[in-house]
Amino acid sequence: MKIIVRLLLTMLLVSFLTFAAFEVVSGDPARTMLGTEATEEQVRALQAEFGLDKPFFERYILWITGCFTGDLGLSYSYRQPVSVLIGSKALVSLWLCLLSFAMIVAVSIPLGLASYKYSGRILDPLRSIVTQICMAVPPFFTGILFSWIFGIGLKLFVPGMSAGFVHLLFGAICIAIPRIAMTVRLLRSTVVSEMNKAYVRTAISRGNDRSAVLRKHVLKNSLVSVVSFLGQTLAELVGATIVVEQVMGIPGLGRFLVTSILHRDYPVIQAIVLILAFWVVLSGVLADLVNHAIDPRLKLSGEGREL
Amino acid sequence: MDNLVLEVKNVSAGYFERGYHEVLHNIDFNIKHGEIMGLVGESGTGKTTLTRVILGIIKPQSGQVIHYTKRPQIIFQDAYSSLNPCFNARWAVEEPLKIFGKYNSKERNRRVDQMLERVNLPRECWNMLPSELSGGQRQRVCIASALIRRPHFLIADEPVSALDVTIQAQILNLLRQLRDELDLSYLFISHDLNVVYQLCDRVLVMKDGAIVEQGTVKEVYNNPKHEYTKSLLAASV
Repeated sequence: MKIIVRLLLTMLLVSFLTFAAFEVVSGDPARTMLGTEATEEQVRALQAEFGLDKPFFERYILWITGCFTGDLGLSYSYRQPVSVLIGSKALVSLWLCLLSFAMIVAVSIPLGLASYKYSGRILDPLRSIVTQICMAVPPFFTGILFSWIFGIGLKLFVPGMSAGFVHLLFGAICIAIPRIAMTVRLLRSTVVSEMNKAYVRTAISRGNDRSAVLRKHVLKNSLVSVVSFLGQTLAELVGATIVVEQVMGIPGLGRFLVTSILHRDYPVIQAIVLILAFWVVLSGVLADLVNHAIDPRLKLSGEGREL
Repeated sequence: MDNLVLEVKNVSAGYFERGYHEVLHNIDFNIKHGEIMGLVGESGTGKTTLTRVILGIIKPQSGQVIHYTKRPQIIFQDAYSSLNPCFNARWAVEEPLKIFGKYNSKERNRRVDQMLERVNLPRECWNMLPSELSGGQRQRVCIASALIRRPHFLIADEPVSALDVTIQAQILNLLRQLRDELDLSYLFISHDLNVVYQLCDRVLVMKDGAIVEQGTVKEVYNNPKHEYTKSLLAASV
């Protein structure tokens, strides 16, 4: 309950800041839209259409109450409700995000444990080289590469056209690769330091073998830092999706955001910023909830990441 | 030679790290059934290495370790870090039984309850995490988890050094009481001679990886033969 109140307050603050920021930058949107040739009457008519003739706070209140009912205002350039314009695109981006996040979780945890278990004179340097490469290659580069190989070469999807599953899948892989490498490395180093703790020694002396210690004792203690990291990753994924959507031609929120910025379509930008902010705050809250479920210590002390 | 629980015969052992470094030299002693054997010596003399050799973690270079009982168990100095911070007291005590696998959950619960009562852990602590327990309670949990599979030989590696004096006395009483009730023998490691004097029947004095003196507690305390034992006793008064 406390978490939800905190979430709402954060969102309210973010929404106000976004709204205020565009108020400061924008100048007069009506005048910008009409160009230099416009007459005073035309400008005033347009201001009335978009509600720009009202004072700042009144407009903010109208906008924010609208947000709760799903009415995000009118787009300047399309003259259509923002919610209609955004809806389907947001869904594409959401799928892209969730798909790559699912990949990160499903691949990096087993891989992290495996990379702890199997080490050797050849394996260790090899692993660190592969990890470094995966971390160093930015998603937009793999995006271009995959579009070229799998899209144009093998014709598995058509860049720029649909948002079919295969298309999203390759986009998700591009986003996931560096983050998988980071998570694997984090999990491995956490496990290594946990394995040196005294409770591991006790666990072995009570009859556990090494793999049981890893599964039952160490994993649970290691997951907290990994989950916090994954929460952060989930938040950052939106940034990566914007770039990858652009590069691979996936018609999602990111691409729409870029075109809207170019057209100075402030209602659309505000709405997208609000959605992204909500996503970031939500990821933090989710990570906290998961950590509370994993680690009973957090319940007692009430500690945990501040939102 | 009957009624022994442990025999350590002329054991030398050490570590391999860029060559062999011998830590223990010709260690030779035995522990009789129902006996509490003290082991004193300053840090770095090889007490921990000796426990590792006894538990079979390190193979002796020469000599023999013979166990006459099954499943020796061990408790450690720092009970807090010895317990997994994510699991409560009951879980820690039950785990060895789960690994053993012979009992169903009802029987396991019965045994866990019985053992937690035996070590006098207050009932309201049974479902608490290590971080919620006091130092003495944590050590009680560790003792319970070491004894849940009913071993007959327990190594106690400085089990009370981290506790304050009144709690120390409680834990020592508990160990003595458990020895009688559960038919146990101990190897009790400590650097506190007073504690050893209170609890143990016989004592080994170790210096630089060798046993310099052994005998009953009274003998060694009243009539120390080796210079090192004398200096230890002088320092502890």
